[in-house]
Amino acid sequence: MLSTIDDATLMKVAEALGEEEAVKLIEILKNSDEITDDEIANKTGIRLNNVRKILYKLYDHSLVSLRRTRDPKTGWFIFHWKLHPDQLEGFILSQKRRVMEKLNIRLEYEKNHDFYYCYTPGCKRIPFEEAVELVFKCPTCGKPLVHYDNAKIVQVLSKKIEQLRKELGE
Amino acid sequence: MPKRNDLEQKALQYIMNTGFEGVLQSELWRKLGASSREGSRIALKLEEKNLIRRERELRDGRWTYRLYPKRIPSSIDSIADVPCLKCSDNTRCDSSSAISPQNCEKLTEWLLSTAKNESGILGDS
Repeated sequence: MLSTIDDATLMKVAEALGEEEAVKLIEILKNSDEITDDEIANKTGIRLNNVRKILYKLYDHSLVSLRRTRDPKTGWFIFHWKLHPDQLEGFILSQKRRVMEKLNIRLEYEKNHDFYYCYTPGCKRIPFEEAVELVFKCPTCGKPLVHYDNAKIVQVLSKKIEQLRKELGE
Repeated sequence: MPKRNDLEQKALQYIMNTGFEGVLQSELWRKLGASSREGSRIALKLEEKNLIRRERELRDGRWTYRLYPKRIPSSIDSIADVPCLKCSDNTRCDSSSAISPQNCEKLTEWLLSTAKNESGILGDS
């Protein structure tokens, strides 16, 4: 099948799922039809429990499938894993939808609140309602709270949401 | 000589990366090192599979085709830097719970640094 996802995207997804170890693991999966977790651990040097952890994470997103056989000598199960790059597109779309949903929640919150801030690094912005209760004094550093203009935050959020909406064709 | 399917895959990848601009058929074959005969056959194959669209274009007094992808490739780039993508608190993050996008510090930090970078690009103070 002709895939519309290139290797660079595949690696970025791997990175998003589990940092460097997942990238190594996917590299091995990509170049083999079916492979066991033991073989992956031997080839990559990643600890077997971590290999399994990443594989199950990929399995949760249907990016890999597994086939189970029994070892005739020991009677133990052997798991054979296979990469499904055709599922990547669906995975990317669902992640974009998930992120967009979170950003939308934040955008609504930013639009519907007025914030007050002491401008001390490490202190948090306080919504107006809470700031009134605190008599406009920062609960962390004690400095006075002054109005905080969140226009730039709203702008960044709106721009990103619009971009994702376009990419998702909504 | 590369196999037909490999060339098809390479051609499709190249066309998809050109996005809305598309690419001239003649340019593409030069890039892929294929003959124009082989090239136009592959373009037809990709069009048949509904993966690209071809539009006639006059170039240097000759008619050629510009190839456009039917779909823009899926890329994770637009969300790669948003902390929500890799956040380990994702399953517990909800607007009605203690961990929420509303007051998430990781998200605030990302928003502020993005705003700062963007205003830097725009030359704002």
